[in-house]
Amino acid sequence: MSTTSDIPGKLIFLGRPHTAGRPTIEEEFDVRKTRLIALLAVLALVAAACGGGEGAGDEGADVLVGLAYDIGGRGDKSFNDSAAAGLDRAKEDFGIEAQELEPTAGGENREENLQLLAEAGADLIFAIGFAFADGVANVAPNFPDTSFGIVDAVVDLPNVASLVFAEEQGSALVGCIAGLMTESGTVGFIGGVNIDLIQKFEAGYIFGAQHCNPDVQVESRYLTEPPDFSGFSDPAKGREAAAALYDAGADIVYHAAGGSGAGLFEEAAARREAGGQNIWAIGVDSDQYNTVSEDLRDVILTSMLKRVDVAVYNTIEAFVNGEFNAGVNVFDLSVDGVGYSTSGGFIPQDVIDKVEELKSQIVAGEVTVPTAP
Amino acid sequence: MNLRKAALYGGAGLAVVVLVEQATGVGELTSSGTVGASLRLAIPILMAALGGLYSERAGVVNIGLEGMMIMGTWFAAWGAWLYGPWWGVVLGVLGGAAGGLLHALATVTFNVDHIISGVAINILAAGGMRFLSVIAYADPATGGGATQSPRVPGLPTVDLPFLAGGSLFGWDTPDLFGGLERLGWPVVSDLGGILRGLTGGLSWLTVIGLALVPLTWFALWRTPWGLRLRSVGENPWAAESLGVAVYTMKYWGVVISGALAGLGGAFLVLVQANIYRESQTAGRGFIGLATMIFGNWRPSGALGGAVLFGFADALRLRDPAAVRALLAVVAVGLAALAVRAVLKGDPRRAATVGGAAAVFGLVFYSVEEVASEFIFMTPYVVTLLVLAFASQRLRMPAADGVRYRKGEAT
Repeated sequence: MSTTSDIPGKLIFLGRPHTAGRPTIEEEFDVRKTRLIALLAVLALVAAACGGGEGAGDEGADVLVGLAYDIGGRGDKSFNDSAAAGLDRAKEDFGIEAQELEPTAGGENREENLQLLAEAGADLIFAIGFAFADGVANVAPNFPDTSFGIVDAVVDLPNVASLVFAEEQGSALVGCIAGLMTESGTVGFIGGVNIDLIQKFEAGYIFGAQHCNPDVQVESRYLTEPPDFSGFSDPAKGREAAAALYDAGADIVYHAAGGSGAGLFEEAAARREAGGQNIWAIGVDSDQYNTVSEDLRDVILTSMLKRVDVAVYNTIEAFVNGEFNAGVNVFDLSVDGVGYSTSGGFIPQDVIDKVEELKSQIVAGEVTVPTAP
Repeated sequence: MNLRKAALYGGAGLAVVVLVEQATGVGELTSSGTVGASLRLAIPILMAALGGLYSERAGVVNIGLEGMMIMGTWFAAWGAWLYGPWWGVVLGVLGGAAGGLLHALATVTFNVDHIISGVAINILAAGGMRFLSVIAYADPATGGGATQSPRVPGLPTVDLPFLAGGSLFGWDTPDLFGGLERLGWPVVSDLGGILRGLTGGLSWLTVIGLALVPLTWFALWRTPWGLRLRSVGENPWAAESLGVAVYTMKYWGVVISGALAGLGGAFLVLVQANIYRESQTAGRGFIGLATMIFGNWRPSGALGGAVLFGFADALRLRDPAAVRALLAVVAVGLAALAVRAVLKGDPRRAATVGGAAAVFGLVFYSVEEVASEFIFMTPYVVTLLVLAFASQRLRMPAADGVRYRKGEAT
């Protein structure tokens, strides 16, 4: 049984028998056809290249920007989308060319993507996310004429701009809002993964809440520990952690947990429906009032804005103008790299006044926000 | 006999938990919130574990459970988005079953190595669902994107009337168990909390999931069909010689396996998250598989492991400080197992289990606050240890993972 089934396979792999001497008429025709197709393909390429040349004329016309997304890629309604928005805006304003790559679901090929973009001749390459730190450190030295920008991590190389955010400052502002608006006297924080970057959010939030309301209690929960990064994409765990915080007496909960934050909004909405009038959630990274479905909007008090789009756009602008700044570029409150949203109009004016006061104090350097809890 | 034994163990366990709670002042161990969360966190794992049971009892190793669960999550969200939550359940089950069918086709019909096929399905599911998301949610107006679905309607939850204060024909019944929990009396309130957690905020999928445990036991151990399915996993050649359609039985096992994993995925989406999010299964399929193996390829073992894991996971999410109390409970439990081993005249086993109990006890006494890394490990460590020590001897189906061709019996 098994031996007979092998025979057709062998026939296929042997292919057509070779014929010695001159090619047959059929084969001659095959060769001609192939040549014709190749010629057509070359013509098409030339035409495409000419077409690409038209419509240029801006200062960034011959700049190729490469952008390597982190897990999730374009369409993640969060971090990556924010970077994409900055890129799209720069494309319109400066007429640059762009090439974008997304990693596999596990993110194993981050470094490969950087390498590919560099080999494709990109002049400026963005690595979106701290997980690219090793990849940039490995790839950037091999392409000294290429500029790199990495978000959320510091890579100390002459051709790398490290684009970092003062998350603690933005978190302090939403913490202040929570501290002023809590009725129970307890507010909560959910971190996706227990890493330094997320602890910055927590530290700022606790500081802001206690700065504006010295009596407030802050309860924190983390969903996973590194190297398990599923805490950024597990709404079920996010929801259970939110339930725990609300059960523990918190009435306003802030999350820095990426996709798991959807669970927080669900839990808040369910409790609102069950009669919890002063139950609120605070979003992160983008203005989540605008990204969640309409049924959930009413529970989103505010969002801590982390303007990855601003970082990407400003870096491209600087590059196009020949002012690319390698080294650490901090996007903080003073350049509106972080902030808070007021969509929905849930925050009373007197609270906004106090938050703005804290903001100006932070910008002026009168108040320093800690970066670790 | 079995019921009395279960009641005995349950009572002893409760006594230990109450004692530890009184000693440490931690209330979360038996709160209705923790018990409800445990149940919700346990069900997806339980479904994967039961799925693995059907497949492996039919002799096919199913490491593709994770992939089948991923397919379940995607199709559940898509079905719920288009037609409503119950259609989401149906499509989620079918999506998982499709993954199972693929695995059956590869392993049973084409004789591919079970592990390779399973791993391939995991990779295929992750990439394939991404591809489907890009197509289905290409229009930003849907509210979805490449990595997530729009918000989908979830299944409603109910509080049982009288027991947990649910409403009956618009009348809010008294909340018996909740009232007991709020009294704050030891034992009574602990029991009230546990029962309130089991009877409040229930979803129909939770009920179905739990009912599948005795159903599985009945189907596999009390019906001719189940005997045939298990015989195929123990000795397919003997089964063949007695006229059992081995391929068909293996197909049944693997397809049901996928369907159950898909149901677990549907639970994640429709009860807990109300959204599909890429990689939201977070390894629950693998955990389910491990639970089933350490549960000795039995439905009861799978249930015990899943509930234990869910409980430890719920506890660390709800109150990380309570994990220290859990260590004390585990230490006492292991010590009890050690005593049992001594009584049964097995000193080596008693020494191992007793040693583990001593380590847990020591950690409990010497540590004021458990390190966050360890807290995160707790569900894995506790489940592994308890299941490993509780089951005397693991015995997998004899022909599990063995390649079988029809007509090769000698």
